[in-house]
Amino acid sequence: MYHAAETVNVGLAAPLDESGLIRAAQNGDQDAFERLVREYDQSVLRIATNLLRSPDEARDVYQDAFLKVYRNLNSFRFDCSFHTWLYRIVTNICLDRLRRRKVRKEESTSVETPDGMVDRVTQVREEGAHANPERQMWNRELSGGIARGLAGLTPRERTVFELRHYEGLRLREIGDMIGTTEEAAKNCLFRATQKMRLSLETFV
Amino acid sequence: MNCLEAGKEIPNYCYGEVSSELEELVESHLADCPACRTELARHRKFLELLDEREPMLDSSMLVQCRSQLNTAIRQQASVEASHSAGWRGWHRVLETLRDFSRVQIPFKVPVGAMALVALGFVGARYTPEKFGGVRAATMEPLFSSVRSVEPNAGGQVQIAVDETRRHIVSGSIQDPQIQELLVSGVTDGSNAGVRLKSIQFLHDQVLPAGVGSADVDQVRAALLGALRNDPSAAVRLKALDGLKQFASDATVRTALAGVLQKDEDSTVRMQAIEMLATHHDDSLVGVLQNVVQKEDSPLVRAQITQLLAQLKASVGTY
Ligand SMILES: [Zn+2]
Repeated sequence: MYHAAETVNVGLAAPLDESGLIRAAQNGDQDAFERLVREYDQSVLRIATNLLRSPDEARDVYQDAFLKVYRNLNSFRFDCSFHTWLYRIVTNICLDRLRRRKVRKEESTSVETPDGMVDRVTQVREEGAHANPERQMWNRELSGGIARGLAGLTPRERTVFELRHYEGLRLREIGDMIGTTEEAAKNCLFRATQKMRLSLETFV
Repeated sequence: MNCLEAGKEIPNYCYGEVSSELEELVESHLADCPACRTELARHRKFLELLDEREPMLDSSMLVQCRSQLNTAIRQQASVEASHSAGWRGWHRVLETLRDFSRVQIPFKVPVGAMALVALGFVGARYTPEKFGGVRAATMEPLFSSVRSVEPNAGGQVQIAVDETRRHIVSGSIQDPQIQELLVSGVTDGSNAGVRLKSIQFLHDQVLPAGVGSADVDQVRAALLGALRNDPSAAVRLKALDGLKQFASDATVRTALAGVLQKDEDSTVRMQAIEMLATHHDDSLVGVLQNVVQKEDSPLVRAQITQLLAQLKASVGTY
């Protein structure tokens, strides 16, 4: 049936008409809005969970962010890409939360364990249920190291690091999202990487 | 470039975040410097270790988030619609509703003025050819969705594609075809904002300007349909508004009694009571006595009780 693909291709695998969807949503089309949400909400939830290391807070961020989008979609003027605009909203909400957390001097998701501060959300990939005890120990230590490293980053460093390392966004775009220059974002990433590297010193 | 400088650039170099000139400098240093090559290898190992982290994201979380968002948005829409809509203040709803949809259509357009009506997708029966004197422009298809996929005899595949086209139609509010579209907009409008505006145009401009009696029936039927079936309370309120001039009509009064029994929005129920009260008929007291006992909202109950008192009837056994 390979030749059938030619027939299918004609005008069908049309890429999502994003600006059409945005305009429709701006005109009050709820379905269009929902399609926009579904296009991006997995990334939004992932970013929020990774940045805040807390599923509960990530859920709140998801709500806050998309409600903000819903209320402010009218002010979106297509002068940047929609996902930059959306991620800007998301990272700003996360940054606010990280900063407030710093003020309250609490790391809501970190818990004390015999191995030190361990991030509940940071889980290192298990090599199946039958992983050997040594490997399990190594996994625990690595995840502790990553958690300690992340906890030692400033909110801004953490954001830049997450977005660059785990989301693979470019520094130029990240700078744009958090309201700073590419150069400043680059310095921020450098500091974050240094700190993370230090906390994983025993592994490299 | 020396080792110190190269060491500083290695992290950004690994992320591909150095300029092409800098990249060349780093690479030519690495080519000659075993120590920095070792450092590069260690840094890459470090980056790989970071990737061992996996977030604890379970799939139910996304489902949960989506449904919470849906609820929040529906609430928001109804708050927008009924904000400050207390008893006697319900008309203020309409002020809010003018901003309900984001298409900017002035509401107080003089009768006979050209009205631009964007109705979204109202059905394939509205083809451009149908608009004789009305200006219609066909635009590119907006969305395609695959309806069916079937193999055919030639070993090929036959695919049915539904395309949603958007036509922008403009014409005088007195144009029968524009009126027909407005009537369709009342029930087929793709969102509450469109349905509201369709009713608003019909109510403010089409009905006062006078249309043929057959068309009045059509308008009334569309408004009744919206009153009975529209999921948006704001649209149902607006439909009530449009039905005011038919308040003595038996079909409309039956529908109003139905609203009292079934509509889940208390503002809609109160408005229906007010309309019922403007024309007395034999069935009114019976209808009111019947619903007052089942009514949950104290405000609505008070309104019915007051009305029954005016009608000098007993409120029954509640
Ligand atoms: Zn060197």
